[in-house]
Order: sequence, then C-alpha cells, then structure tokens
Amino acid sequence: MLFLQLLLNGLQVGAIYALTAAGFALIFGATKIFHVAHGTAFTIAGYVFLFAWRAGWPGWAGVAAAVLAAMAFGVAMERWVYRPIQRHEGSFFTVFVAAFGVGIVVQNVIGMIAGRGFATVDTPLSFSAEILPDVFVAPMLWIALATAGVLFVALTLFLTRHPAGVGLRALSQNPDLVRTYGLSSNGLSVLAFAIGSALAAPAAIITVMTTGLNEAIGHQVMLISIAATIVGGIGSLRGAALAGMMLGIAESLALQFVDTQWAEAVSFLVLFGFIIFRPSGIFGVVQTR
Amino acid sequence: MTEVLLKSENLARAFGGVQAVAGVSLSLPAGQVTALVGPNGAGKTTTFNLITGNLRADSGTAHIRGQPIMGLKPWQVARLGVARSFQDLRLFTHMTVRENVLAATETAAWFWQPGGARARTAREQRAQAALEATALTDLADARAVDLAYAERKFLSMARILAAEADIWLLDEPASGLDLASRLRFGALLRAATARGVAICLIEHNLDVVAELSDRIAFLDQGRVLAEGDPQSILRDPALAAIYFGDRPQEAA
Amino acid sequence: MTAFLLNLATLAAISGILASTLNFIVGYAGIFSVAHAVFFGLGAYAGAQVALLLVPNPFLACLAAAAIAGGLSLCLALPALRVRGEYFVAASLGLQMVAATLFAELKPLTGGIGGLVGIPRPELLGNVVPVLPLALGALALILFLTARLQRGAFGRTLQSIRDADSAAEALGKNVNAAKTLAVVFACAGAGVAGALYALHLSFINVESFTLDQSIQIMAMVIIGGTGTLWGPLVGAVMLLSLPAVLTFIPFIPPTEVGAVQQIIYGLAMTLLMIFRPAGLVGDQSKGRSTS
Repeated sequence: MLFLQLLLNGLQVGAIYALTAAGFALIFGATKIFHVAHGTAFTIAGYVFLFAWRAGWPGWAGVAAAVLAAMAFGVAMERWVYRPIQRHEGSFFTVFVAAFGVGIVVQNVIGMIAGRGFATVDTPLSFSAEILPDVFVAPMLWIALATAGVLFVALTLFLTRHPAGVGLRALSQNPDLVRTYGLSSNGLSVLAFAIGSALAAPAAIITVMTTGLNEAIGHQVMLISIAATIVGGIGSLRGAALAGMMLGIAESLALQFVDTQWAEAVSFLVLFGFIIFRPSGIFGVVQTR
Repeated sequence: MTEVLLKSENLARAFGGVQAVAGVSLSLPAGQVTALVGPNGAGKTTTFNLITGNLRADSGTAHIRGQPIMGLKPWQVARLGVARSFQDLRLFTHMTVRENVLAATETAAWFWQPGGARARTAREQRAQAALEATALTDLADARAVDLAYAERKFLSMARILAAEADIWLLDEPASGLDLASRLRFGALLRAATARGVAICLIEHNLDVVAELSDRIAFLDQGRVLAEGDPQSILRDPALAAIYFGDRPQEAA
Repeated sequence: MTAFLLNLATLAAISGILASTLNFIVGYAGIFSVAHAVFFGLGAYAGAQVALLLVPNPFLACLAAAAIAGGLSLCLALPALRVRGEYFVAASLGLQMVAATLFAELKPLTGGIGGLVGIPRPELLGNVVPVLPLALGALALILFLTARLQRGAFGRTLQSIRDADSAAEALGKNVNAAKTLAVVFACAGAGVAGALYALHLSFINVESFTLDQSIQIMAMVIIGGTGTLWGPLVGAVMLLSLPAVLTFIPFIPPTEVGAVQQIIYGLAMTLLMIFRPAGLVGDQSKGRSTS
C-alpha cells in the first residue's frame, strides 16, 4: 500500500512539475531563451495567491491575481531584460546570469516582505481522507491532475488551431518562416512568455495549498523545469511535460528506498545520466551544440 | 608518378536511409591539386569528414603514407599531417589574427608546449611567415570576428599554412573571392604544391577549378564517377549534364 | 577592529582564489560551471580531515585538498566533454545539488549538517601560524599560474576550443585532454581555497558549499569581468566587503543585512549584463570574450 500511496503523491508532484516544465519548454522552444527566472514566476504567483487568500479574497480572485502576476513578470522579463541583452549581445550566458540575478533579487525581496520559511494555505481541499486501507488522498490530488489535464488539452488546441499558436510552433522550428508569413516574432515572443509564465501559476497555487512554499522554492522549480526539458528532449513540449510527470513520480517512488532529503537528488541523477548518455533526451533529436 | 600521400578506398557512409558516400576511392599525390567536383549533396564534405575522423565510416579504408587512419580521432589524423578548412571557416572569432595562427602551431594539449624557447621561436616564425604569405601582417592584432570576408578566408588559409601539414583538405576555400584575391589564393596553392603538399579542394565554380586544379575527381551520389585531368572532365557532356542538373533518365 | 580586518582579508584572499580559478574555466575555456562550491567544499572537508586526523600541517592539508578536489573534478569534466552551453550549466547545477545532499548526509566524512568542528589551527614546525599569509601566498601563486597559463599556449588552446572546438581539433589539439586539464587545475585550486577556509574558521558545514556559494563566486567573476586577470579579484573584494559596509548603514535592520546584500549583487548581475556585459574591469570595446 505504501507503493500506491507514493505513486499517488508522485502523480500530484508530477502534475506540478509537468505544468512548470511545459511553460519553460514553450518559452525556450519559441524564443531560444533559457528562462532561468521561470522559477521566479512560480514563486511570485504562489505568494500572490497566498497574500490574496490571507487578505480574505475569494479563491477565484486569488487565482486570477496569481496568473496575472506570473504573466506580468514573464512579459516584463522579456521586455526589460532579455530583449535589451539580445539586442547587443545575446550570448546564452549573459542571459543566464541576468535572469539568475533577477531570481536572487525577487527571492530576497519576498523573504523580507513575507518572512522566511514555509507558508501554506489550508483549505478543506487539502485534508486527506482514507480512500483505501492506509492510502490517504486529499481532493487536491484530483484537482491537480484535472488542472494539468485540462490545461494541456487547451494548450494543444491553442498550438494547433489558433493562428497565434501555430505561429509559436513555427517560431520554434523556423524563425525565418514566421517573418515571411508576416507574423511579428516580437509579438509572438511576448505571447510565449505570457502563456509559459501563466502555466507556472496553477502549479504554484497547488503547491501553496499542499506542501507549501518558501521564498527559495524558485531555484528548485527552475532546476526541475530545466531537468524535465532536457530529459524530455529540448524542443518537445509534450516531452517536457511527460518528463516532468516522470520526475515527480520517480522522486516520490524513490522514497520507498531512500530518505526524503535524497528525493531531489534522484531527479538530478536522472538529469546527469541523460546529459552524459543521451543529451538529446527522450523525444529530441541529437543537438549537443 | 609522384608519391601518393593520402589514399582512400571504398569509403562509405549512410545517414538513416541515405547513402551519402557510397564507396569513394581517392588518391592525393604530393605536389598536386585535386579538385572534388560534383552537384550539391554528392558527398564531398562528407568524404572530408570521413577522412579526418569527424565521421565514422561504415566501411572502407584510408591510409596516410601507408599508415591506416580509420578509427583515429580528428586530432590524431591532424598530427599525421592533415590540415583542413571548413566551409563556414570556424575561425577562433574572439582571438586576434596572430593568436589564431599561433594556435595552429601549438598542438600539445598540456600546460606548455614541448621544445622550450627554441621551439617557441620557431613556432612564432612559422606564424609570422604564414601571416606574411596571406598578407595579414597589418591586421595581426585585429580580432578575427572584425575581419572582412576575404580576410577571413585568408586567415583560415594562414592557419593551415602555419600548421605545417603536407595534406590539405580545403572546403570551398575560394568561394566568394574576387579575382585579385583568387589570384593570390592560387599563388598560395602553387607555392604549397611546389613544396610537395598534396591538396584536395572542394569547389563549385568550374572556372576556378580549371584555373587551380591539376586533377579532378567528379563525385555524384556518393561515388566517384570520373577522375582525370581538368580538360577531359570539364568537357565531358554527360558529366556537365549531371553537374548542371539535367540528369539523364537512367541515372535518376 | 584589526581582528575584523584580518578576518576579512583572509576571506578575501580565499574568495580571490575561488574567483580566479572559476574565471580560468569560464573566461578562457567557456566552461560555465555553477558547481565551483562543490570543489571548494571537497577541499575544505579533505583539509579539515587531514588536520583533525593526522597533523595540522597547512601544506599537507592543501595538498590533500587539491588532490581530492582535482581528482573528483572528473565528475565535472565528463559533462564538459560531452555537451556545451545550457546543457552543461544544467549538468553542473545537477552536480551541485547532488553534492550538497552528499555533504549533508555523509556524516562520517563531513559531519553531516552539523559539520566538522574543532579543526586545529595550522602549525608549522610546532608553531601556530595564522592563515592570512598562507592564503595570500596561495592567492599569489594561483594568480601567477593562471596569468602564465592564460597568456601562453595553453590559454590559446582553451580559447580556440571555446571559439571553435572542431577547428581546434582539426589543427591537432586534443580537445578532451585540454578541457579536462583546465577543469582539474581550476577545481584543484578551489580545493586549496577550501582547505585554507577550513583551517581559518576551524569549523565548516554544508552551508558554505551550496548553490548560493557557487552563485556568489560566479557573481564575483562576472561583476569583476570574465577573462581578465584582476577582475575576479576586484569582484571578490567588493562582494565580501558589501556586508561589512551594509552593517554601517543604520536603517537596515541587522537581520536583513544578508538579504539586502543578496539583492544588491543580484541587481548588479542583472544590470551589468544589460548595460556592461564585460564586467567592471573588462574591456568594453572588445565586448565579452565569451560567446
């Protein structure tokens, strides 16, 4: 029964990872920007929801505020950090350092405002019930899975049906093509950041309502997003989401054999193994640059 | 017949289902310029990559002065006296022109180069000579990334000159050069062949091929269709038809 | 006050070693490691164990630290040979996370979360010696070596690999050997810094060897200027004096000094990358030497 419990926990963690990783992969695919401040969007969304909740806002308003905050952050990064850098230089490392700096600033500002350490939102949805002997499940698990499922269907529909979504996909495959079709790659790049960052918000809200978050969680989220994107194969959104789910389940199942502090290390061992033996990931084409 | 420095036999390599190189046998005699000619996708650059060890051949052999080189790493092949240029040049963009050329003379990967001060002076002289031969002396302290197009091409040649190799594999070294630069480039090749260097070059412009080469190997669909002196190859109507895309029915 | 300044000077020298060695692989070889604190930590634990179990001889401690950190740096060299750019950064992040967990968990070797305490003061010929002269000596040696290597043939080899590895290999350079050598050298240097750190503080734990530390070392290099000799040193001194300067500003509550410090260097990293990507010491007209 322990196995089933861990598997269910893993599904919940996996849904969170899948959502954030998909956002990261969408941004990277469309803009080729390695958006390491993606974890920061997650942190901001989580804390905005937390504050809205504590201020007594209705749940839907908190969710909306969190999504908007994440989107605003992503778009601001694109406009005021990435675009100026790419205009004059654009080396991947310059981008990486600049985004990392933003992450450090936000983490400490949040720490000063909200206090350091874990914060959670307790709702009736977070209370576990015994659904089978020794297997406890909170309604949040089903909400997490349903949210992830619905958002993926919506995202897939958007990317395949809507002209702007098709444009985003085209941008990830052939930037020149987009220009010839008269779509603005700047506009699409903003769109990628808006949608990608928005995907981090539901994951952050689920996290606040279950395990809780702290001001430094952005690092971990960023690392998982990168790991999932590489393991899934860079350029493959579905790969990133699946890999995120797998990493979540792997971390959880590993608890059967090792203590909790090793759970995160499991993800990085998987990542390390992939980078050394199969850098193209599960679904990617070989592209070691 | 002069000594053959590099000899490949039946080199083959497929990518997925596409047979990029299907049994290329090639001899590069000392002191001669051999031009690899053929339509796009004929397998010219792939042949270079198979010889230099950048790609592993599915089958076939290659020897340098009788020594087998299949399975060697690119740097090992280079140390047997093979220098190559790339179509996209691959200069050391953020280093100066002089550093680019000096780097070509330093092959040891250790903290220092062997041979002490005397060897270092010799390397510096070689680098200086290469800069002079390519007329880059005045630009020696400019960064490679700041050079004009033709200067970049000559810097790529200067690296090869400084490397002191006697087998040169040049991938479209003259493309995009104006007439004056092309003449200077031709003179570089002549000076090298006079020293006994074996040169193989890939070139699309048939006028340049006629001007520079002593022999032509005509590649199509991964195999050598014809080999011989420039006149006979360039005047062959069947080859011209393939080259210019009017492929005869039976070959399609 | 003197004790305070001596302490600061010692830590600055140690950070200077860390920043210079990281700059060697970042600025010259284009190997963007965010795992430098791992090798700092390995050196610290190795040096501390030598002092605790054998003799508190600083040279022996540094030697052991360099050997352990240099030897285990093959864990970093391996991905460096396989992948570049974002992939390598991700691999080094992974290595940093796994190593921090190992440091916290391998109690017999590292003392776990509690760390190693009571590391004896360094002794030479029966006399206790302060760490400052040793650290300055080590810093001078490292600066001398990196300057020699950077300006000589090895530096050219690394830069040529950074700019176009296939062309470097086509010119007969054993790319894998050169990269491995650069990584081993830089990490062994970080190990020496670690041993000195352990002897100086006589207490170490995993807190000093986490991702935050790696990022701080990276910030020193970047704020000073990658690919320059003195830039990393300038960056190290600046970042280290920052908390001291901040404690003199009255309206910052003492509990927030750490956060304010991090905000300042985070901002500095971002603004520099947008407006002055070659760092403070770097030559702006040349642009960044890395790509």
